[in-house]
Amino acid sequence: MGRVVVVGNGIAGLTSCETLRAEGFDGDLVVVGAEPEPAYSRPALSKALLKPDGGLDGHELAPASHGATELRGVHATALDADARRVALSDGSLLDYDGLVIASGSRARRLTDSPHEHTLRELRDAVALRGALAGRPSVTVVGGGVLGMEVASGALAAGCDVTLVANAVPMVRQLGPYLAGVLGASATAQGLKTMVARDVRVVDRGGHLQVSADDRMIETDVVVTAVGDLPNTEWLGHSGPLHTDSRGRLRDGVVAAGDVARWDGIRTPLWTSAIEQAKVAAATLLRGDDAPVLAFQPYFWTEQFGIHLKAVGGIPLDGDPEVLEQDDVGQLLRWTHDDGTRTAVSVNWRIPIPKLRRLTAA
Amino acid sequence: MTTLTAPPGKDTLMKIELDRPRCEAHGLCEEAAPDLMHLDDHDDLVLDVTEVDGAALERARAAVRVCPVAALRLV
Repeated sequence: MGRVVVVGNGIAGLTSCETLRAEGFDGDLVVVGAEPEPAYSRPALSKALLKPDGGLDGHELAPASHGATELRGVHATALDADARRVALSDGSLLDYDGLVIASGSRARRLTDSPHEHTLRELRDAVALRGALAGRPSVTVVGGGVLGMEVASGALAAGCDVTLVANAVPMVRQLGPYLAGVLGASATAQGLKTMVARDVRVVDRGGHLQVSADDRMIETDVVVTAVGDLPNTEWLGHSGPLHTDSRGRLRDGVVAAGDVARWDGIRTPLWTSAIEQAKVAAATLLRGDDAPVLAFQPYFWTEQFGIHLKAVGGIPLDGDPEVLEQDDVGQLLRWTHDDGTRTAVSVNWRIPIPKLRRLTAA
Repeated sequence: MTTLTAPPGKDTLMKIELDRPRCEAHGLCEEAAPDLMHLDDHDDLVLDVTEVDGAALERARAAVRVCPVAALRLV
């Protein structure tokens, strides 16, 4: 294989490049990154980077060692899969023998207003941190992980924060027990939460307000965290790319990370992107000799003074088995109907390998 | 913008460095390279091996890469 092109320089693209090298690929490697910065840790944007007393380097990763040609600030605009050629936004064309699609996703927006803050890229985090510095009133739309982490960061920055969602925050992601734990901590720290059926962001002459059913919320800053859209338009496609259990889309083309619906499931998480990229890159070189993905999802969040780690499937129904607890933390386990288990630490320091062992039947 | 870096040689000896204040004890590095590092009973990361080459260097790279807070690096 002469040249491999990797579209996307997030953690999936970066891991693809490093895996290709580790698997012995010594040909021409080109990685195309839409953002101007080198690859960074996206989870840090809503965690370390929003801490008012924290530095601005919490997202930085160790320098890449893959020796690829890195094209930054350019994105792919079209694919000719028969000719094995990618077109780029700077007008150039890149021929490839193997292609890794790791173009990620972008924030779903509720308006076209430039005043609607979202959090997906480094520049979004820098803009949001700037917007929070004057301690404005903040309304966060969305009760998922990102919305809650942003609300937590805004509270820590000294803002008056209201979170509006169309379900109890974190219930869809983690289930009622853990949503209750996080919600109680959020309320104790001063978060105002509103659950409404009809949530909208309204542009009133350049100033954004949030409507929740019949109520209008006056606010200085609006942040929406209402999901993401896979970046697949350049492929003439909308929605995620459906891959097989090795990340394949067609001969010589694989996908990994947030852009992919891998073997029927989309898992837009840090560790999933890494594990998928390893399998996809190996498959590009070795085909069916590469191992299929065998991976238990790992999820973590930091919000409202709670560090939560989960290994295994989520969300979680019913009450857990309490394995350990003290004044501030708990080590919990759920056993699902199919016999699989999920282990969760809530403010309980435990390494992932130990947490993983607790899920063994 | 284009940057070019030379691929490092396979038999380079590299040193694993830990930025301890950044470490949040996720332990993903230990999963990637259990022969090189582990979290002790207090969840402090211990580097059992600091100089690596060959196959161990590849495992060290995987450990460095999987850390979501970039507390590890190879120099």
